[in-house]
Amino acid sequence: MLNIVVCIKQVPMVNELPWDEKTGTLRRDLATGMMNPACKRAVEAALQIKDKQNASITVITMGPPVAEEVLREALAMGADRGVLICDRMLKGSDTYATSFVLAEVIKKESPDCDLILCGAYTSDSETAQVGPQLAEELSVPAAAYVENLDISGRTLRVRRLVDHFRETLEMECPALVTISMERYEPRYASFAGLNRAFVERDIAVLNADALGITAASLEARGSRTKVRRVFIRKAQKGNVMITGAAANAVGEFLDKYQRKISAVIGKSIESKNQT
Amino acid sequence: MQFDPCMKHKLIRNSARNFAETELAPIAAEIDQQRIFPRNVIAKMRELNYFGLQVPQEYGGAALDSISSAIVVEEISRVCAAVGLCVTVHNGVAVYPVLRFANTSQKEKYLPQLAAGKVIGAFSLTEANAGSDAGSVETTAVKNGTNYILNGTKIFVTNGGVCDVALIFALTSSPVNKLQSSVFIVESKFPGFLRGELEDLCGMRANPVSSLFFEDCPVPEENLLGQLGDGMKIGLATLDNGRIGVAAQALGIAQGAMEAAVKYAKERQQFKKPIASQQTIQNYIADMATQIMAARLLLYRACDIKDAGAPFGCEASMAKLYCSSVASKVTGLALQIHGGYGYSKEYDVERYFRDARVTEIYEGTSEIQRMVIARAILSQPMM
Repeated sequence: MLNIVVCIKQVPMVNELPWDEKTGTLRRDLATGMMNPACKRAVEAALQIKDKQNASITVITMGPPVAEEVLREALAMGADRGVLICDRMLKGSDTYATSFVLAEVIKKESPDCDLILCGAYTSDSETAQVGPQLAEELSVPAAAYVENLDISGRTLRVRRLVDHFRETLEMECPALVTISMERYEPRYASFAGLNRAFVERDIAVLNADALGITAASLEARGSRTKVRRVFIRKAQKGNVMITGAAANAVGEFLDKYQRKISAVIGKSIESKNQT
Repeated sequence: MQFDPCMKHKLIRNSARNFAETELAPIAAEIDQQRIFPRNVIAKMRELNYFGLQVPQEYGGAALDSISSAIVVEEISRVCAAVGLCVTVHNGVAVYPVLRFANTSQKEKYLPQLAAGKVIGAFSLTEANAGSDAGSVETTAVKNGTNYILNGTKIFVTNGGVCDVALIFALTSSPVNKLQSSVFIVESKFPGFLRGELEDLCGMRANPVSSLFFEDCPVPEENLLGQLGDGMKIGLATLDNGRIGVAAQALGIAQGAMEAAVKYAKERQQFKKPIASQQTIQNYIADMATQIMAARLLLYRACDIKDAGAPFGCEASMAKLYCSSVASKVTGLALQIHGGYGYSKEYDVERYFRDARVTEIYEGTSEIQRMVIARAILSQPMM
């Protein structure tokens, strides 16, 4: 049986993130949580493997008690086991500390795992660092931004789009893959699945102590980044007046803005201009 | 007393909301205008247990509690009330009486198909001369060998145009030779089961509401639900449950309308500022939000009492009466906030406004709900 671990994260479900402008931190208390979209695709990628072959899926998240929600959601979609790492000591962990803690959990809870999947990046911080760093911690081969993966025996074949080139890579398991947003449209959880996720499935809750993580080890392996300032980039608007005869004005307008308009509507308007 | 939603209810709401916004929001206006029953979306809903919300797992259902079930109906109706209606009628008044009154072989035959949504259910009490007065049913079922032969006409049957199984109330002779009503599980493939044209209604237009005609329709005697003469008992118990569903639906419509109005009030500029900054609009929004919150608490309390196994008829009627009244008021205010645009089909509130109205009529009019509530209150012993 293939043992798959999927690391997921709860992120705020809002279009405009409410920031506390004074402290520069996210007002998480105002936002409802949801599973990070790329993480959800990673869960879907694991489920598609499980659809085809005998596999067991463990989902792991680190966060406050409410992060249990995303584990339950993954269980409802079809994952088998959930692990929540929850400890005030780990609050505010950066990607470096997070990958260290996740590695400790995987070593302890799923030492024989064959495949580790992560979302390529999160919608709240977009660093895309945790997956690759976790692979380093675990000393396993890794591929990031993967849009498709196939597994046959112990060989993993992944396809990804990098710098406008589509490349295919092969790795031996155990390996780590981060899933991009291109494919793996996540399935809806059924209500029977949601009910089962609460009634029949258990979630293991681990604190730092249970993982053997001490204040001293966090000192050495803890967060190294400090957020100095957070600001909202404001869009700047300016009015441009084009004067003169209509035919000339339209021509001038297109000369100036043709490329911008094409970029916005997603297709070239050049040919129309010429005819 | 716990007022915050538990994690399960929160996830069920998110899940139904995500589905409704992804699958139904893009088509809700069109299927309303064209009167289209969205079979493709219904097919997706089958897989996700929308048609077996409270059916036990052994029959392939989701075994949800009543608050969860109400939340699902609420969220679907928040986006598309006509599909919410299909779901709540199927679960609330077609599946529920089978769960509660069917014998084992009937359950084994019908529940798995109903729960999987392979079979869509309907509930048929209303006739030209019988609605609120459930005792005046004129459809007859006459015993002939091992069959009952049904004759009569049912009107305003929700899901009527697409149902595969309908629970039909008909007059039967009782042992004391008095005419009493009984309920039959009737399959649409039985000979003599005919559907009328789809009704051209004010709201809920994507739901195929139609008449059903029975012309010498033979129904096997094993399809009698409960005992002969149980019609009134099954009818009243089913309507109690159905009222929770309609209340949930009305609440969902109100919620959808309020959200649309709040969004519009923040965007719409008049006198060089958003209309949301006008006190009158703020008062409307405050009234809408307060009434919706009160309606929701009343509804969930009825669900809670039902799940505790206690009689919930009075609470279901209160929830239905209040939620439907709130739906009409809130959709009216939401339309008012939208001004002229609200009266146009270009905006969703126009549809919400039409859809809300019938929640005060079907599954027992508001007048009937008041009768049920008053009877319950007046029959309580004096303190």
